[in-house]
Amino acid sequence: MTPPRLSSSRQRLLQDRVATGLITAGGVGVLLAILAIGVFLVWETLPLLVIGDTLALAKLSPLAWGTLKAALAALLFAIPVALGAAIYSALFMSARLRSRIKPALEMMEAIPGVVVGFIAGLILAPWVERHLASALMLIIWLPLSAALAGLLWQLAKTRLRRRLPLSWAGLWLVPWFVFMVAIALWLAPWLEQHWLGGDLRQLLDQRYGMDYATRNALIVGIAMGFAVIPSIYSLAEDALADVPSTLIEGAQALGASRWQALWKVALVAAGPGIFSAIMIGAGRAVGETMIVLMASGNTALFSASPFEGMRSMAAAIAIELPEASPGSQTYHLLILAALVLFIFTFLVNTLAEVVRQRLRRRYRQIGGTL
Amino acid sequence: MTSVSANSASRHPRFSRVNDLWPWLCAASVALSLLMLGALLTLLLVRGLGHFWPATLEEITLSSGETFAGQAVREVALPQQDGDERLYFTGNQDIDGVRWRWVAIDEIVERAQPTDLIRLDRSPWGDFIGRLVAIEQHGQRWEGDAAWQQLATLLKLPANQRQESQLLLTTVDGQILRQPLANVVSAQTPNAMAWWQKTFAWGDAVWRFLSEGPRAANTDGGVWPAIFGTVLMVILMSVIVTPFGVLAAIYLNEIAHQGRLTRLVRIGVRNLAGVPSIVYGVFGLGVFVYGVGGSLDEWFFSDTLPSPTFGTGGLLWASLTLALLTLPVVIVATEEGLARIPEAQREGAVALGATRLEMLTRIVLPMAAPAMLTGVILAVARAAGEVAPLMLVGVAKLAPQMPIDGEFPYLHLERKFMHLGYHLFDTAFHGEDVQAAIPLVYATALLLVLIVLVLNLTAIFLRHYLRRQRGNEC
Amino acid sequence: MLASLHSSNTSQAPVAHFLSEHSCLSIDHFSLAYAGKEALRDLTLSVPRHRVTAFIGPSGCGKSTLLRAINRLHDLNESVTHSGQVKLEGQDIHDPQMNVTELRRRVGMVFQTPNPFPMSIYENVAFGLRLQQRLPKRKRDDIIEWALTSAALWDEVKDRLHRSAWQLSGGQQQRLVIARTLAVQPDVLLLDEPASALDPISTLKIEELIRNLKSELTLVLVTHNMQQAARVSDYTAFLHQGELVEYGPTDQVFTNPRLQRTENYITGRIT
Repeated sequence: MTPPRLSSSRQRLLQDRVATGLITAGGVGVLLAILAIGVFLVWETLPLLVIGDTLALAKLSPLAWGTLKAALAALLFAIPVALGAAIYSALFMSARLRSRIKPALEMMEAIPGVVVGFIAGLILAPWVERHLASALMLIIWLPLSAALAGLLWQLAKTRLRRRLPLSWAGLWLVPWFVFMVAIALWLAPWLEQHWLGGDLRQLLDQRYGMDYATRNALIVGIAMGFAVIPSIYSLAEDALADVPSTLIEGAQALGASRWQALWKVALVAAGPGIFSAIMIGAGRAVGETMIVLMASGNTALFSASPFEGMRSMAAAIAIELPEASPGSQTYHLLILAALVLFIFTFLVNTLAEVVRQRLRRRYRQIGGTL
Repeated sequence: MTSVSANSASRHPRFSRVNDLWPWLCAASVALSLLMLGALLTLLLVRGLGHFWPATLEEITLSSGETFAGQAVREVALPQQDGDERLYFTGNQDIDGVRWRWVAIDEIVERAQPTDLIRLDRSPWGDFIGRLVAIEQHGQRWEGDAAWQQLATLLKLPANQRQESQLLLTTVDGQILRQPLANVVSAQTPNAMAWWQKTFAWGDAVWRFLSEGPRAANTDGGVWPAIFGTVLMVILMSVIVTPFGVLAAIYLNEIAHQGRLTRLVRIGVRNLAGVPSIVYGVFGLGVFVYGVGGSLDEWFFSDTLPSPTFGTGGLLWASLTLALLTLPVVIVATEEGLARIPEAQREGAVALGATRLEMLTRIVLPMAAPAMLTGVILAVARAAGEVAPLMLVGVAKLAPQMPIDGEFPYLHLERKFMHLGYHLFDTAFHGEDVQAAIPLVYATALLLVLIVLVLNLTAIFLRHYLRRQRGNEC
Repeated sequence: MLASLHSSNTSQAPVAHFLSEHSCLSIDHFSLAYAGKEALRDLTLSVPRHRVTAFIGPSGCGKSTLLRAINRLHDLNESVTHSGQVKLEGQDIHDPQMNVTELRRRVGMVFQTPNPFPMSIYENVAFGLRLQQRLPKRKRDDIIEWALTSAALWDEVKDRLHRSAWQLSGGQQQRLVIARTLAVQPDVLLLDEPASALDPISTLKIEELIRNLKSELTLVLVTHNMQQAARVSDYTAFLHQGELVEYGPTDQVFTNPRLQRTENYITGRIT
């Protein structure tokens, strides 16, 4: 039962060589195309540098300020919420809940900026304008009500505590919050009437000389914060969940409470990962266009007030570049803005990536096979 | 010191310390994020779908004796005084000149919901709210119930077959209007409808929203051209991005020398996913539109210059720009898939005498296919929701021609196109009557979010399935 | 029958005999380095035709590296450099004239962990055949049946040829991999610790299979299991730190090693 001899052909080797060549050419071509973005941006900005027009650069500064202000506002809101959520879901949440909640929160990232911007600019902004006191009160009220929930829980009977464990609190606090928001909205007009003389906006204007613009940094902060939370959350959660459990258990074995173990060990160990998560979030906040465009009012102001608008570089590019004639000064200036955005986000992301890789290597050393 | 307090806390569980509240603040962050996400989705669902439900019409008599009919929209507190005011949508822009009316609630004497109030959807002039008196056609005349039945039959005919018919309408304050039937899109008496009739009307309205073009400067009608434009652009983009992304990933993972340079390139590609989309838009405008497009115009379309053919934003440039934007997504996902294939599979194939090409095409690529598909789906989801770069490279507020038609060469890559996301932005921020457009904007936003979420969920499930499959093997 | 052949023919065979005319593979002053780090140093040995030759030695001694070099699997790794010659039937495998895919067809290789492809049992065996040439289905079916029979797997899988190969047990998977390799009719079969991931019964089956296959082709076995080497091989080469320490008929190497180092290893004093 001996089968016939098989033949082999040189053609297959040739095919292989040709295909390898093609793949290499294609791959290198794609990588070059990506490189071309940077080259193009630098090339188109050169005329500005040749002229040495410092006045033109001065035009860019309110935009840079606006970009920073918007990003800062977003990060102020996003960092505490995202890190809190990451800490909770990496270290306290039940595994079953976590496997559901994590994708849900990551889904937030997928919601298009244009939708968030629409809600912020057309729905949230007018509402906050009419209910400024309520909105500000909510910002203080929500953390307080979370702490209140914690206090009540510690005072509660064991049976109730077993029914509503901390590991599921991320879920059952939602109705609690709905309840608390309702209370705040009910109380706020009354508080405004009695403590703030009836109209907070008027008070701000008369006593502190603060203007109130419908679309302002507060709105941008909330809306863009909403968009940035998932990216910070996701990376920070990964970093925290990857902390070798031997570290935390070791700390607890030495008598530290769960929170102390977390604070002293896990957060420190995952520090670089959290840092890179924040960097990625910052990169996203700086470059986000539609939300700022729709929720900021697009006024190029130098103002630190949270109740005034701004114009970011990304929004300026989106509005002005289609109208700028190629070769004009505005055109080059806007491309310079794009170059700044490109370099900034690229550097920030590279930093984050390098930090993250180094961290992963360190974990592998500590955790052994983990 | 600390250990003492920790011990006392464990002995007296009710003794609470500030430290024990931190986990609650963290849990609250999760709850807050979920709440915001839930609120956003609920808002979109309720307002986006609710708009199509036939709303109850009210006939209002004011203390001044004036009457009007309309749909109550919302209430807000009166500025500087007690009490609320309510906004009514009254339609009848051709008669009154406006479509909205604010009324202080105190001034309302009577609110009635008469069943004979009708609502017509017309083009032009939008909604009419009032009563139907009669219908006239070729000298014939129907009145009362007969008129309503005749209207229902006539509306089933195409618009050009009802040229001769006219409606005799009256508003609730007695003004008379003669309305050519050809301009009427639909008619209903919402107060007289049972819930199942309303459900039917709702389904019909949703279908018309999805299948018709916009009317009245995007404040009315449907979003079909925008859906079509988005889908076509995304398909073109996938056709471009898939082969190149996969090629680059194969090169990086299977062919390139795995040294320091490759590692740097890999980090660079990964980081490009974080570069703002508007930067890609700038590149697309500068290189594709002005650079390549401008040159194409000079060489092939010089007879139509100075009006540009390819030298302006268009479908092709938009697809190319978004392909570049989503390239990192595809490369990263494919590379992950390739890296996860055990080396033993590759060696097994090679040891049987397979060339690298045969190993790739017969073993590696089939195994990496789900990962590639995940990457492409994620890319599509990202591209479908991306608006900023499109504003620079070819999206239009209202495209006069569809990018595909019966005219040679059928697919017109140079044409501008409509896009759901941009349609949303434009209607919400540049429309003439934003108030009237908001319900449609909600519906558009809901549609966009649904498309993007469904795509993302598909990718998540695919990835999950993939991980489990790999898990079994180990 | 084979067992008797083993005892009668090979144990008395002088070294010089198998070095000359019966050699199928001959390795001549062969060295190999990973990124400048030497893994094999100046090896010279020759593998006799239709016999089982075992490479033994402590972990990291270079026995797997040598096996992979015979199949030129190091081609996939650019940092590997080598010198000296490996000759298959008198032809240098590193000769630019040598068609590497043809070499790998002639030199089959079975790895430590079973690596069936994610396809059906039938397709796994047909994989190598499909690379070589277009065969009529009848003929292909015949070869597949022959290969599976030779690998002692046919009876177990003949009713489920089109089921996924990943559903087989570990031992069956390893025999499937051997069948897959046999289907392209190699001259030499390299086995890299083929039974190390398997349970004792599967291991016995593989060993029996190895002994049976000797009549068809030349086998080279890398193993860290002394008893296995003693049970199945005709010749044994002991490698240590990249060098060939001792090479000879298995009985001689195990019962009467010439060098102290070999004896230490065999009796378990070096690991």
